[in-house]
Amino acid sequence: MESLRYFEDIEVGEVLQTPGRTLTEADVVRFAALSGDHDLLDRSGGPPGRAPAVPDMLVMTLVSGLGFRVPVSQPLVLAFMVFDWRFLAPVLVGDTVHCRMQVSAKRALREGGVLVEKREVLNQRGEVVQEGEYKLLVARRPRA
Amino acid sequence: MTAEDRQYFEDIEVGAEYVSPGRTVTEADIVAFAGLSGDYNVLHTDAEFMRTSIFGERIAHGLLGLSISSGLGSRAMTRPFATLAFLGLRWRFKGPIKIGDTIKVRIKVTDKRETSKPDRGIVVLNRAVTNQRGEVVQEGETDIMVERRR
Repeated sequence: MESLRYFEDIEVGEVLQTPGRTLTEADVVRFAALSGDHDLLDRSGGPPGRAPAVPDMLVMTLVSGLGFRVPVSQPLVLAFMVFDWRFLAPVLVGDTVHCRMQVSAKRALREGGVLVEKREVLNQRGEVVQEGEYKLLVARRPRA
Repeated sequence: MTAEDRQYFEDIEVGAEYVSPGRTVTEADIVAFAGLSGDYNVLHTDAEFMRTSIFGERIAHGLLGLSISSGLGSRAMTRPFATLAFLGLRWRFKGPIKIGDTIKVRIKVTDKRETSKPDRGIVVLNRAVTNQRGEVVQEGETDIMVERRR
C-alpha cells in the first residue's frame, strides 16, 4: 500500500493548496444525471449572454475530490462527519476553481482522530466563491 | 412550468413537510460519483479493502448521498420554491449508505425571515435522509433565498 500519513502526522495550521479545476458543461450534465435534479439544465432563467451557472452543490462535490490532489499524501479518511458550508458567489461554466485548506483543530479518539479543516474555494480571479468547514474522521497510526 | 406554479416567500409556511419518493443507490452511482468528483478514496472504490473494514463493503460518498437527496428534494415538491440562491448548509453524516440501500428525504420548513431587501426572504429547511429501515443516515439544515411576490 502507498505510504499514508496518519492523524498523528497532521499539523494544525498547515495550509495546502489544490490544483485548479475548470468547470465544464459536461460536469453539469453529469451532475444532473447523478443527482436526478434535471431543473439544473433549465437555462431559460439566466441573464442573456452569460455562461450558465454551475450548481453550488457540484462545486462542493468537485472540491471534495480536489482535496486529495495535494503534494502530500492525505490521511485515510474513515468518514465525513460534518459539513458547514456557505455559498458566497455564483460559479459559471468556464470558471476555474481551486481550494485552499487549513487544518484548524485536531482531536484524538480511540478509533481514529477528528480533523477540523477550513476550506476556501477561489475562482480564477482569486475571489472566494464558497467557504466552510469539514469535520473528518481519519485513521490513527496502527500500533506496532 | 409557469411562475404561478412556484411557491413564493409569502406562500411558504413554517412547519410544512414534504417527503420524496425513494431512490436505490447503486454501485453505478458510486463509480460515477468517483469519476465526477475525483474522490477515489478506498472507502468507495476498493471492494477488497472494504471487506475487511467495519462496514464490510464499499459505502457511498457522503456527498453522493447529499447530491442524490438534493435531486430527491426537487421531486418531493409539487410546487417548487421560487429559489434565488442557495446560501449554505450545516450537514451531519450519521451513518453509511451502502450499495442497494434505498434512501428518501424528508424536508421540513423550520424558519423564514425577511431581509433588508424587499424582493426576497430567507427560508431554513431541515432535511433528513433516511434509509429503508427508517434510520436517519444524513441530516442537516439548508438556507435558501426565496423570491417574494411583487
